[in-house]
Amino acid sequence: MSVVAPAIDANPLREGLEQERVPDASCLVIFGASGDLTQRKLIPALYSLAHDGLLPAGQTIVGYARPDYTDDAFRMAMREACDKFARVRPVDDAVWDNFAKGLFYVKGEFAEPDGILRLNAKLKECDQTRGTGGRRIYYLAVPPNFFPVIAELLGREKMVTDPEQGGPFTRVIIEKPFGHDLASAKELNKVAVTTFRERQVFRIDHYLGKETVQNLLVLRFANGIFEPFWNRQYIDHVQVTVAESIGVEKRGPYFETAGISRDIIQNHMLQLVSLIGMEPPVAFEADAVRDEKVKVLRALREFPRGHEIDAAVRGQYTDGSVLGEKAIAYRKEVNVDPHSNVETYAALKIFVDNWRWADVPFYIRAGKRLPKRVTDISIHFRPAPYPLFNKLTNVTMQPNVLAIRIQPDEGISLKFDSKVPGPTVRTAPVTMEFRYATSFGAEPPEAYERLLLETMLGDSTLFARRDEVETAWAWLDPLLNAWGADPRGPELYPAGTWGPEAADRLIERDGRKWRRP
Amino acid sequence: MASAMTDIANADVRVDVNDIEKSLSELWRGQKDGDDAVTRAALWNVVAHTSTSEFHATASETLGRASASVPQRTIVVRSNPAAEAELSSWISANCHLIGDGKQVCSEEINLVAGGDRIHRVPPVVNALLIPDMPVAFWWLGDLPNEHEDYVELLLESADKLIVDSVHFDSPADLALVARIAEQTSTSPADLNWGRLEEWRAATASIFDPPDMRSRLSTIRRVRVIAGSSNHEFFGESIESLLYASWLSAQAGHNVESSGAVEGVAGTIDYTFERRYQSNDVGAISLVEISFEDGAVASIARDRERGVLVANVDGSVTVQSVTRTLNQRLDELIVRQLKRSEGDKVLRRVLPIALKLAKRVG
Repeated sequence: MSVVAPAIDANPLREGLEQERVPDASCLVIFGASGDLTQRKLIPALYSLAHDGLLPAGQTIVGYARPDYTDDAFRMAMREACDKFARVRPVDDAVWDNFAKGLFYVKGEFAEPDGILRLNAKLKECDQTRGTGGRRIYYLAVPPNFFPVIAELLGREKMVTDPEQGGPFTRVIIEKPFGHDLASAKELNKVAVTTFRERQVFRIDHYLGKETVQNLLVLRFANGIFEPFWNRQYIDHVQVTVAESIGVEKRGPYFETAGISRDIIQNHMLQLVSLIGMEPPVAFEADAVRDEKVKVLRALREFPRGHEIDAAVRGQYTDGSVLGEKAIAYRKEVNVDPHSNVETYAALKIFVDNWRWADVPFYIRAGKRLPKRVTDISIHFRPAPYPLFNKLTNVTMQPNVLAIRIQPDEGISLKFDSKVPGPTVRTAPVTMEFRYATSFGAEPPEAYERLLLETMLGDSTLFARRDEVETAWAWLDPLLNAWGADPRGPELYPAGTWGPEAADRLIERDGRKWRRP
Repeated sequence: MASAMTDIANADVRVDVNDIEKSLSELWRGQKDGDDAVTRAALWNVVAHTSTSEFHATASETLGRASASVPQRTIVVRSNPAAEAELSSWISANCHLIGDGKQVCSEEINLVAGGDRIHRVPPVVNALLIPDMPVAFWWLGDLPNEHEDYVELLLESADKLIVDSVHFDSPADLALVARIAEQTSTSPADLNWGRLEEWRAATASIFDPPDMRSRLSTIRRVRVIAGSSNHEFFGESIESLLYASWLSAQAGHNVESSGAVEGVAGTIDYTFERRYQSNDVGAISLVEISFEDGAVASIARDRERGVLVANVDGSVTVQSVTRTLNQRLDELIVRQLKRSEGDKVLRRVLPIALKLAKRVG
């Protein structure tokens, strides 16, 4: 019998293993390696991937920042970070020792050509010693204003290659904010595609790395029972809440320029809305999924010209208490203008103008210093067409609600009415509940773990594409401009409450009310 | 409710075989609507079949622990045709704290059958399975070579048959599992195969770099060293056998019925060595893979650091370290239950293992 050599484009020994997809070893360069994000999220996430056997032997991480570290000092600092923040703790010494062998540091300014040259030399050295084969991932954990200069230097030094032109891969990861408005987002994207191709750009929205967000697609498109009801015929309205109990903490300067609308609504919330509203993609592939998501964003009803602020409410927290602890007003926070009109809360009533969602309102709200930290989507179904039991009992039937809890205590619940046992026909709402912790036990991986791994594997499904970002800005800009021009400023709400009263009126004037998440 | 659950979790409650479901309903009835301190959950029906009280205790304890990770309706059967005729049952709950004072509980049913009453076991077990939920059947001990009807009836609704080939005393047992895989819709799962997962991952890591993948077709020799008790017991060899069979299957080698292995580069020499050790009998401790150009890849267990270390001499590829997995029985069971689909690779490996078994001394 003749023996056929196996194909070598994939490792056949990976078939059936928990770690079925392991990327090719590359050099991952973190620009801004001395920052909070690197210590709290990136290195702990990379270590956790190594712990779970998901990083290839030879995977190399090079930190690039201003402080004067040696490789060993950088390794020690990163070990401390993992001891504090890694998902898998305590840190496994054997795994860490091997992981740390692939950690290096290069000192340099972001706009310093010599620094970039030193970096390039280190990367080439790693190609020789660690088998990274010229493959590069640049993680820009830096303020957006540094992106153009870093991109330019990388391009000038020929540190960007592309398999389509016969070279090894180069990918770049950009952190939000992706601009401040449509114009700045376009400018940023223009710079990005001067040096990189769009397929090389990975824009991180860490919400997309959350298991429950990804489960939205599975819930909708892997189950036959939901999709037939997922439209205007059966759904009365949709609510999305992103609530944080914390204030702005140390992020005052950033928040003063962003507000909750730029920080949460333009990206995380619109991503959630597009996942709820999208049509089934033709395949579970990056562009197929993102094509459908961007169609939802394009279908968002424009704010009425001259009356933009009527469809929205903005608020700002004042002194109050959250979970029994005193909380100071936003205007008293460190590095915040004492007369600031920046919104720490926003609620919007929006519409997706297409066949599926025509006239179904999506009520979305996001805020800081709310009573608890929770991200929750609820689909509120229309009531039964004929009130058969209400006539008998005078009891108001409650509409069915499918609630998807994104965080914390991730899960899905369905509320429906049931007969209360007894000789009379009485009904009461009951809940059918699925919780990740109950059914699957193990803690899900951190969003950054998933997103870093997907970047290494070259799969951009869970990343925002250029047109998504720009379409979102194009839709939101008129409201932000109108707010900017409105001298009234945000309505104040005490910290620890569910936002300004106007937010309640926004939904209650439609005969509905916010669901308590 | 919490107190009722605690009571039942602490002690088995003897119930009439005909009233098991009713008694289980009563167990939950006390829970008030809206009280989320206790959640009843199940993702699997898991039936453990044992023949001795030792295995029965092992199964109950193991599945009790496993239910923390995979909530399940557990049915533990002790069936012994040689024992006194009886059929009795107990119920209890396996409860696990998941934080915030909340508990997840799942049910455990114990059945003890002896004499001619063992024939009631299959219908009783089938009636107790939660509908629309997969069924895993864990057979503890050596596979039976008699009472075929009984086994067939028991396995009728099984989606997965879990065995532990470390207990197999001959290749015939392996052949039986291979036959079930081939002829029924029940997927085989072997805890011994689960023990190999870390070895598979470590070996795979050697061939992850693109320039190493082509070397799979240049393998000339595979040497597998495992612990031995110095007794000629077949089960001790199976881990090595499954490993070698897996490598052959995935590398596309051709294994003759005589046990000879041919690759693209010619005959491949497989050797299985046993070294005496008092613990981890049967467990692999070292693998060496030699290539056509003389280079050797090795994977060795570093017991002290809890890792497998893989190296290739003369290669730029850096050392890879694979964390060893917890090999406790409940962890192995959990890993099987976390995969609802059948294991295609194991199905491919079993027939090859039967051929390679001829090379095991």
